[in-house]
Amino acid sequence: MKEFMMIFIGADYAALGLSPEELQGRMGKWFAWGEKMEKEGVLRGGNALEPDVRRISGQERTVTDMASAEVKELIGGYYLVAANNFDEVEKIAQDFPDFDLGGTVEIREIMVFDR
Amino acid sequence: MEPKLIDHLFRHHYGKMVSVLTRIFGLSHLETIEDAVQDTFVKATLSWKKKPPQNPEAWLTKAAKNRVLDIFRKLNSERKRVPQVSASQDAMAVNDLFLDSEIADSQLRMIFTACHPSLSKSDRIAFSLRTISGFNATEIASALLSKEETIKKRLSRARKTIQKKNILFKIPVGEELPRRIESVLEVLYLIFNEGFHSNRTDILVRTELCGEAMRLCQILLKNPKTRAADCYALFALMCFHSARLDSKVSKEQEIIDLEYQDRSTWHVPFIHLGNEAMNKAVINNRFSHYHYEAAIASEHIKAPSYKDTNWQKILMWYNKLYQMQPSAITALHIAIVQIQLQNYKEANQLLINIEPASLGKRAYLYYGVMAENYKEQNKIEKALLSLELAINIVVNNAEREYLIKKKLKFQS
Repeated sequence: MKEFMMIFIGADYAALGLSPEELQGRMGKWFAWGEKMEKEGVLRGGNALEPDVRRISGQERTVTDMASAEVKELIGGYYLVAANNFDEVEKIAQDFPDFDLGGTVEIREIMVFDR
Repeated sequence: MEPKLIDHLFRHHYGKMVSVLTRIFGLSHLETIEDAVQDTFVKATLSWKKKPPQNPEAWLTKAAKNRVLDIFRKLNSERKRVPQVSASQDAMAVNDLFLDSEIADSQLRMIFTACHPSLSKSDRIAFSLRTISGFNATEIASALLSKEETIKKRLSRARKTIQKKNILFKIPVGEELPRRIESVLEVLYLIFNEGFHSNRTDILVRTELCGEAMRLCQILLKNPKTRAADCYALFALMCFHSARLDSKVSKEQEIIDLEYQDRSTWHVPFIHLGNEAMNKAVINNRFSHYHYEAAIASEHIKAPSYKDTNWQKILMWYNKLYQMQPSAITALHIAIVQIQLQNYKEANQLLINIEPASLGKRAYLYYGVMAENYKEQNKIEKALLSLELAINIVVNNAEREYLIKKKLKFQS
């Protein structure tokens, strides 16, 4: 069994101005998804990320503080799941709740180094 | 087992927290407060994605409490006039404001603010749904079938009026109280009607609006100061109507007439609740139009079948209602009752005295009733002509379908 990371990009709730009712609805879908993965025993971990970004880049180590609205493709969080291949993770990702808000799931395999 | 969140927890909690924070910081900082509360819910949603806390309500309240200091800092940094709540001195007092009884008190203050007579009626409705019920502009627009831009304008106009007129965040007292309660009830009545009479077949939105109006009415009824007879009467009316809300629309999304509604699906607990409220409403024998409307709704609910309806009694209540508040729509209802009593001449007399244009969007009802009256007298041709007029001006699709079906029935 390999490990994969599902990285959630876009669909920033704060920027989208969702109402309290919509937020609660979204959350219910996230619960349901998490529960399903847990039941199937595939969930290995995950976190949601705060929207503030500090970027350090280049030779000069230039520091930029950015608010979520300035970042084109903000990463909102990730889940780690166990699966045999990309196709299996793709299946799991079907339940990602925010496709309708323009959200994206990027699937990456965790690299395993030889001992 | 994951704890399941109560329906509308966020929406209702939004209203509560905005009210409490407004009590602390004042109405002039409403926008800052609303942003802060909104932010709390975004945070909650993100951090609860994996697992909600054991006690979600306590979590939200605590988060709002934490916001007090944030807002305080923000206002200070913007050099805005900040109320005298120095953190240490009033830390206790601020804590107390988050107790359930004080939350209810704050919400009542917000209700009286939102329904202040200085605001126009449409502004009052929008502002109430926003600050007390936690709808956002998009949701208000869809509930009231208007444009989001219009709602945003109403909300900002309401905020400005509150500033300009220096409206206080208080529960009115003394002679002012009854007048202000009247103004609140009017808004709740309008919100309820938007849900109940809107003729939309989207049952979800209807239930939400009716439910909100009832919830706000209950807030008034919980406080001894605002527990007025009219308030009980309005609540009874809402209960009787709500009891048959679900039976108004068929599975095929068609409007069902009272005559053909399945009475066995009427919601009995609401009927009991309505009866209870009605008993309290009549204690001092002073009646408002809510009393009469509730009495009429109660007669309909009481009848085991449509043909067993006590139309005589309903006619009496309608006449009383008309004496108190003469209106074209009440006259039209009296005509409907007269047709049921087979008093076609009386019905006709009433109908010719009504100016259909004065009914606004509901003018099609006038021609519908006219058609009914002709049909009962076997004047089929005239009945069909009236129905044609009704079909031509009706706006709502479900209603149009209904009228077209009726026409086919008349022809057969």
